[in-house]
Amino acid sequence: MTAVENEFVVETVGLTKRYGDFVALDDLNIHVRRGEILGFIGPNGAGKTTTIKILVGLSKPTAGQARIAGVDCSREATRIKHLVGYMPDKFGAYNNMRVREYLDFFAAVYGIHGRQRRDRIDGVMEKTNTTSMQDKYVESLSHGMQQRVGIARTLLHDPQVLILDEPANGLDPKARIEMRELLLKLAAEGKTLIVTSHILPELARICHTVAIITQGRLRAFGRLADVMQQLCPLRSFEVQLLRDGDLPTAVDILGRHVDTRAIEVSPAELAIRFPTADSEQQLAGLLKELVSAGVEVSQFREVAGDLEDAFLSVARDA
Amino acid sequence: MTLLSNPIYRREMLSRLRSWKTGTAVIAVALLSSTLVLLRWPADATVDLVSRGAVLIFRPLAFAMAMAVMMLVPAFPATCLVTERQAGTLALLLASPVTPWRLYVGKMMSNVVLSALMISVGLPALSACFAMGGVTWLDHIVPLLLVLLTMAVQYSAIGLWVSVRAVSTDAALRWTYGLILLGSVLSLGPHVLVGNIAGGVAHAAQRLTVLSPLPALQRLTGSTGGPTSPGWESSWQVFVLVACAISLAFSWATIRRLNPILLDRPRPTGRIVGRGAAQASWWRRLAYLVDPNKRTPGIPRWVNPIMVKEFRTRRFGRLHWLIRFVSLCAIVSLLLTVLASLGTVSWGVERIAGSLVLLQVALLLLIGPSLGANLIAAEIESGGWQILRATPISPWRVLSGKVMSVVWTMMLVLLATLPGYAVMSFIQPTLSGQVENVIISLLVAMSMVVSISACISGFMRSAATATATAYAVVLSLFAGTMVIWLARGRPFGVTLVERILLFNPAAAALSEMGTPGFEQYRLTPTAWWVGLSISGGCLVILGWRLRQLTRPD
Repeated sequence: MTAVENEFVVETVGLTKRYGDFVALDDLNIHVRRGEILGFIGPNGAGKTTTIKILVGLSKPTAGQARIAGVDCSREATRIKHLVGYMPDKFGAYNNMRVREYLDFFAAVYGIHGRQRRDRIDGVMEKTNTTSMQDKYVESLSHGMQQRVGIARTLLHDPQVLILDEPANGLDPKARIEMRELLLKLAAEGKTLIVTSHILPELARICHTVAIITQGRLRAFGRLADVMQQLCPLRSFEVQLLRDGDLPTAVDILGRHVDTRAIEVSPAELAIRFPTADSEQQLAGLLKELVSAGVEVSQFREVAGDLEDAFLSVARDA
Repeated sequence: MTLLSNPIYRREMLSRLRSWKTGTAVIAVALLSSTLVLLRWPADATVDLVSRGAVLIFRPLAFAMAMAVMMLVPAFPATCLVTERQAGTLALLLASPVTPWRLYVGKMMSNVVLSALMISVGLPALSACFAMGGVTWLDHIVPLLLVLLTMAVQYSAIGLWVSVRAVSTDAALRWTYGLILLGSVLSLGPHVLVGNIAGGVAHAAQRLTVLSPLPALQRLTGSTGGPTSPGWESSWQVFVLVACAISLAFSWATIRRLNPILLDRPRPTGRIVGRGAAQASWWRRLAYLVDPNKRTPGIPRWVNPIMVKEFRTRRFGRLHWLIRFVSLCAIVSLLLTVLASLGTVSWGVERIAGSLVLLQVALLLLIGPSLGANLIAAEIESGGWQILRATPISPWRVLSGKVMSVVWTMMLVLLATLPGYAVMSFIQPTLSGQVENVIISLLVAMSMVVSISACISGFMRSAATATATAYAVVLSLFAGTMVIWLARGRPFGVTLVERILLFNPAAAALSEMGTPGFEQYRLTPTAWWVGLSISGGCLVILGWRLRQLTRPD
């Protein structure tokens, strides 16, 4: 089946990479559709960079296959380089080079010449909002601006897939918002993006699909909502009290309904958090029981789970 | 407060003693000194205690150890402060209660102590000279050790001063080695050129020679009045005093600069002047021949983009800088020739040609290793290599683009000095054949410098280490063979010296021009083939390494 038929632009099947006895990547199976953003999450040394290197054609798998737009990443590395735009976590700025010269150099490296090159450079600078800094030295730009130039570089040869390693790393809040908007815009234009990041709330806001990997093994993969459902089946609630004297009573009552080990008490905030699988009726009964016992409750609310919780639950189990 | 309580000193000592580079340097000096002694150790059953055998081995040993100090000592101080600034640790140190004085003493003393350790491994060889007779501790060995230690202090002070001002490690190394070359070798130039003229100029030129340790070493080793020393008179005590004064001046200047203001540098943003400033643009074109503030055109289709990138990313690689540099070389070259043609120097064309050759070789040795060693190592260090690997450009284009960017720069430097040879051939037409051979020898020297440095670059992951190693290897080849030449006849025979000089195309150029001291050697064309073989071998190794670095892991 070709990539066009199944619409998977990026696909890995049983991807495995071993360095001697050490297994860096173990039977990885993921797939990303056109125009989707995949959030690739994992702690340091989990195998993210190994996967990325195989996808970009910089590393060969020990077993399994990785394909981009139907092209085998290890057998046709040169074709892959035209299909993928790769931005590593280290920017790779050249000293004494202006932004336009930097882009001109990479356009020449990709074999883009003449008028097409000029148009392409103007286009990517406009898209990444870097036109105003085209005559500045790359090393003099702020980190956020350098990241923009880095993305402009990856877009020069109009690749189908962009692989961005930690694009939001070290960015200030404003630059992070701008980066988020830029990535969403690129996805809307039909580019497929694979983004790794340690800033999980950031990823949660842009990703359609997430893959969580630890110790080389895929722990969760799928739509963000599905992964959340899969990894965080319990809902998290918080009870806010008015008096600290009520804390022991409240904990005692909650302990009859949920596992006491899962109850988190924050005396400074006068708050108690607990996970539960109870229904709405059961929770209403719990609240009634607290009030009946004389506990003065100011808030009883559900705390939304996020990607961080999902990641932590996987990391704990690993 | 003792030195051991200085945290900077302790940290520097620990990190350097753990480093393989320190061990390699010490072992290299030990091997060099012991090999020289073993070559001349008496094999007969009886030993003549009043013979000059020990003195004959003491001379090359002293020069070899001085050369080792010159090559190995400056590398660390030249890079230590600039590396700390780049890593951000200098900001931490300057923000801590450590005073600039303690910071400087820590850095300086760690280097001096390790230099002393390196020098001390030559002691067994020096003791062997003493045992052979003819060399005494008070007249020879102790003064030599003092001269070497003073050199280490002076070069450390210069290196730290450059390091505190430099913006990159390779620039720091280039400037440090340049200053050391200027002080140790080029300071003898004026005396060589005008030393035999009576008057104030000659006197000033004579005074300038105290900057160099070579006259002091010549006198210590009993070479004064020999064929290679045109009447230098400074004693080792004068050199030690002058070197200490220079060290103090450089130390004071460095400590003054070691404050938080050092880190308060604006990043150059680049400036392109728009169409409105036509007059300013016209002036810039007049001054630089090209307008440095004009937006550069795109890389043409027929040019290797890697080569253009290499030129543009060098601080002095832009066209307006290259034009200035080449013009300077041409002016110096013509000046030397004019000196000869005006008859102010009675040495004749051969000596002037020799000076020209030395000028060109000095430029090759100063610029070549730094440019060549940065080709791959700097790219890996900056992270650019990973990006290049992810592009469809072939390893062959990367290799050719990078190597050619250095070759063209070197060629420009060599071409700039050609007018001098042209005038010389005009004055003495019989020289044209020799001039051709000299140019070929210099081209071979250039290919050796470029290919060796580039090859070293392929095996290093840090630009500073690659640059320092390249300087050490290239200088060993070019200056090391000259140390053997210095001991020609005593103890090394003509045949051995000739064989060793075959590895040095600069010596081939000097012998072609009949420079005094080189007349008896016939080095061409064998030296060319040796040089080209070394270059070819290095390029093959580099090509293989590049394939390794570019293929998937």
